[in-house]
Amino acid sequence: MVLAAAVALFVARGRPRLDIVRAARPAGPLDHPGARARRELVQVLGQRKLFQKAIPGAMHATIFWGFLILLPTIAEAMLAVIDPAWTLPYLGHAAWFAFLQDLFATLVIVGVGVAFFIRKVQRPDRFRGSHMQEADRILLTILGIVTTLLLWNASRIALGYADHPDAAPVANALSSLFSGGRSTEVAERILVWAHLLLVLGFLTYLPRSKHLHIITAAPNVYLAKTAPSGYLEPLRIDLEGTEEDTRFGAAVATDLTRKQVLDLYSCTECGRCQEVCPAWATGKPLSPKLLIMGLRDQVVAEAPALLSAASGGIVELQPLVPNAVTDEVVWDCVTCGACVRECPVDIEHVDTIVDLRRNLVMAESRFPPEAGTMLRGVENSENPWGQPASARTEWTQGLDGIHVLEPGDPPPEVLFWVGCAGAFDERAKATTRSIARLLTAAGIDVAILGPRERCTGDPARRMGHEYLFQTLAEQNVETLNGAGVTKIVASCAHCFNTLANEYPDYGGAYEVVHHTELLAGLIRDGRLGAAAAAASGTVTYHDACYLGRHNGRYDAPRDVLRSTGAGTVEMPRNRERSFCCGAGGARMWMEEGGDARINDTRFAEAEGTGADTVAVACPYCFVMLDDAAKAKGSEVRVADVATLLAESVLAEPAP
Amino acid sequence: MNVVVCTKYVPNPQGTPTLGPDNLLVRSDVEGALDPGDEYGLELALQLVERHGGEITAISMGPDEALAGVQRALAMGAHRGVLITDPALRGADALVTARVLAAAVQRQPAELVIAGVESTDGYTGTVPVTVAALLGYASVTAVRALELEGDALRVERQTEGGYDVFACPTPALVTVTAGATEPRYPSLKGIMQAKQKPLERLTAADLGLTAEDLRSTQTVVEVVDAAAKGGGEIVQGDAAVARIVELLAEAKVI
Amino acid sequence: MGAAWVYAEMVGGHVHESAAELLTIARSLGAEVAAIALGPGATDAAAELGAHGAATVYASDDEVFSGFAGGPQTFAVAGLIEEHRPSIVLFPGTYEGRDVAGRLQARTGSTLMANAIDVVGTDRARTEIFGGMKVVDVQLAGPEPHLVLVRPRSVTPARTDGTAQVVAVPAEIPEAERGARLLERHEEVASGPKLEEAKVVVSGGRGLGGPEAFAMLDALAEAIGGAAVGASRAAVDAGWVPYSYQIGQTGKTVKPEVYIAAGISGALQHIVGMKGAKRIVAINKDADAPILKMADLGVVGDVFQVIPALTEEIRRRTSS
Repeated sequence: MVLAAAVALFVARGRPRLDIVRAARPAGPLDHPGARARRELVQVLGQRKLFQKAIPGAMHATIFWGFLILLPTIAEAMLAVIDPAWTLPYLGHAAWFAFLQDLFATLVIVGVGVAFFIRKVQRPDRFRGSHMQEADRILLTILGIVTTLLLWNASRIALGYADHPDAAPVANALSSLFSGGRSTEVAERILVWAHLLLVLGFLTYLPRSKHLHIITAAPNVYLAKTAPSGYLEPLRIDLEGTEEDTRFGAAVATDLTRKQVLDLYSCTECGRCQEVCPAWATGKPLSPKLLIMGLRDQVVAEAPALLSAASGGIVELQPLVPNAVTDEVVWDCVTCGACVRECPVDIEHVDTIVDLRRNLVMAESRFPPEAGTMLRGVENSENPWGQPASARTEWTQGLDGIHVLEPGDPPPEVLFWVGCAGAFDERAKATTRSIARLLTAAGIDVAILGPRERCTGDPARRMGHEYLFQTLAEQNVETLNGAGVTKIVASCAHCFNTLANEYPDYGGAYEVVHHTELLAGLIRDGRLGAAAAAASGTVTYHDACYLGRHNGRYDAPRDVLRSTGAGTVEMPRNRERSFCCGAGGARMWMEEGGDARINDTRFAEAEGTGADTVAVACPYCFVMLDDAAKAKGSEVRVADVATLLAESVLAEPAP
Repeated sequence: MNVVVCTKYVPNPQGTPTLGPDNLLVRSDVEGALDPGDEYGLELALQLVERHGGEITAISMGPDEALAGVQRALAMGAHRGVLITDPALRGADALVTARVLAAAVQRQPAELVIAGVESTDGYTGTVPVTVAALLGYASVTAVRALELEGDALRVERQTEGGYDVFACPTPALVTVTAGATEPRYPSLKGIMQAKQKPLERLTAADLGLTAEDLRSTQTVVEVVDAAAKGGGEIVQGDAAVARIVELLAEAKVI
Repeated sequence: MGAAWVYAEMVGGHVHESAAELLTIARSLGAEVAAIALGPGATDAAAELGAHGAATVYASDDEVFSGFAGGPQTFAVAGLIEEHRPSIVLFPGTYEGRDVAGRLQARTGSTLMANAIDVVGTDRARTEIFGGMKVVDVQLAGPEPHLVLVRPRSVTPARTDGTAQVVAVPAEIPEAERGARLLERHEEVASGPKLEEAKVVVSGGRGLGGPEAFAMLDALAEAIGGAAVGASRAAVDAGWVPYSYQIGQTGKTVKPEVYIAAGISGALQHIVGMKGAKRIVAINKDADAPILKMADLGVVGDVFQVIPALTEEIRRRTSS
């Protein structure tokens, strides 16, 4: 009866949570089941992302694996409640299971001890804003469950119920606490009841706690997208359609997808995301953890209304912004994906933030006003700076062998996607020229679209203007397909991500490589000769988020740098843990608040390596880090990998 | 209060303008946009109507492409649009343009007409006041703020060293300066709603204008390249100050 | 050929400097030259106007001409035109000049040409287009008088030392013709003109090294007169001047007659906010600074020497 009550209460409390998820909008397609299953094995069972932090990872893995091993014990205890002599068939009599039970019960106690040590003694900053008391309650309950288990087992040994007392050394040792008489029989009854009641109590507590992740984490990991993290799910807006049928992003809780709701239930407030967030690190209000918590609180608070809405009721819902999170929080995000990368349960913070932005921009036209110049530029002139299309080829002056593709020309072997920054920004133009000169030297015809190239739409999309992005994507795909392009080399990490991952949704499937990949390949194949002048000094490479973390390209730029003969040194935060330059997510076009600037913070880290040069592979990083270097009056040079290679490989100086 | 906002579709201000064989600015097949200078006035109009009620009509004279400019105004929040397109209006001078706009304004009741101080492409800056005078309206130019007080407007006019405050009877026309306010960026919802809004396309004849009304009185008779103004010149040392002063004098600012 | 008239704008009791320039142009047309001066101080200004070649000055000192937004002037000028039938009337390309000429055009139905840099005949004027890249001559037709707005400082004024006959202009303006009435005047001496409206913008960047150097730019702006001070994002980010100074992608967009960039390297973020300037002067000690490539006049030198010397030279010129 107790069991029935507990289960009933669990269902009663958990059902609304499930119903809200089911009522939410469907998430993206469940493609690649193999990859998803593998992720369950590695990430959930294997706890891989948790082990990104060794001690907390070991602590969690111990408790998690203990939880799995000890699950049958619950059934054992249920049987024993009815009759002390009853136990599970086979398992209840197996020596190896008795051993595992004893071992993991002990390990969980140790794990809880470590958890308290981390929380009470180490007190890492990532817990700032988390519910600490709730965590304590959960840990104490776990401690209670395993302690009663061990003591119950000990009492059973003392009473002679255990088949293999020697297989459970800890319980066996504890059995000496019991005399084995009548009092032990009573103690055994009390312990088994205490154990079971704690377990059932915990079960009923779960649905309303942050510990719900033990149920939602596995499905959440399964539902996470399989595409590179730089990919965004399109909205597909039809301007001719009705306003009611058009989704402009997430305005209220009912606009969230199932995955987004599940994200909220899965968050354990561990703060790993907060710890790596460039916005939070530089004193801005955004913390990915607090964002998720804020959204969760609102969804929970509005649960009755959401359920009523799901059954067709008309309800008044509070807007998510500024209720759950403030406007500032939404605009602080650089979409670097560090939070998503860290999250052990695969919460996709960035996609949710973009969804919130989509509503603010497209439905409400509410965003930092200074970013309006960028949107107007992209809209009217098809580049963020509002420059004339005719100026897109200005960088080619004085360079031979650059072919501007005219309509009707035969398709090029490789199309060089210059990008707006690469065409208009003085600093980025140096990179563009280096790439063009290197490709020419390697005997590759450099073909560009010139004035027919448009912004890929990345800054508009990251800012939430999905429609503007969609328009540009469709136009660019038409141009590229019309020119018969099959392979593209892009120098901007943002263009690269958009062309490679997002254009296929609009009918543009190309082989897209980043210039560092192409150059590394040319060096490997011997098409770019040995260094004419070996570079001197030390270089540190800054990973661009949209090349590295979002797309896994870490080695090519490093290979190119090594080929120049320069000494290389890594920053403390590198590769998948690289720290953003501050320009992503359309932040390039917004003013920055907070205590510090993200670019200054990153540049200081680069300077701290003692390197003479900071190598970059994206024009945004170039501008941001070079600005930081100049602001500081630093002697450290910022240059693109391609420029460093050109200086090393090409004897003559740049024209 | 009902407001008419005069708007102009101009070639992309960042682009390179070209003259056609007829010595007129090439306006078709050129990427263009609603004149950024018009957005400030439209924004003030929107704020005024939001406070006091009423409707905004955006009117524009231009080629077919200019429709995009009117649609932009509708997306920002204007209630109805009027585009006057007529081959006879190509190359229209300031007076003809003013006659067309004045005739278009008269087709609906309006207590206030708003325009930009000057267009980004032609920057003559006289059309709005001529419209006002043709209609017999009071006018104030270079306005940076306005508020309705009873039947009259209280307007702040930008001056070189500050601003003047005027009491302006209605109906009135004002021109609004760049930077007077932050123009809103139209939401996608606004763009979708704009498609449902009434939009009229008229010819000069629809406005009751005769060929005589449309006769331009200015003709470009000669175009020559200006003497190179020493662009791209680099100087060093003592010569610098003298050269800067010369340039300032050439620019007629000292 | 009828007379060539000049609209002599009265500002604060004095005649605007453009009047002497317009008279110099009017004299070159070979017609009889007259000026119209309306507002307090007009009669006294007749001597100055005569000294620059006006044979007749139609004047009124009445305050009605300084208390409204161009309505009374338009009414009075229209009356004079009807009575005397000149062939051409030149106006200064100022706010008031444009207001009066624009309204007048509606009454006379005559042509109005704006932005002229010279007048070649009573039916032909000259202007510049495309930022001064082309010079265009325009034939003026239609009923006389032709109205022409001439950009200030287009010619150097020349004196004739003549004297003018003063003809009083009636100041009875019907209520309906007066239009908007002036209530208050506000001078904002400290801030000067708004960045977006200023004819000259003097702008500072990281090369200035600190907030104190902006005082140097303020002094230059004041010496030039009608100039505003701006800054690049780097200077704003460094906290030297407030965000309201910022020119560029995420700040203000300016298109002055002259833009003076001091210690600004010329990042694209900045360029997009000022490339609409008609003339760009850049002062930078780094000969490779991108801004020098796009400047009409690039000065490779130390801003701390060039700016004070320039300020001094301009003061010397304007006081002489």
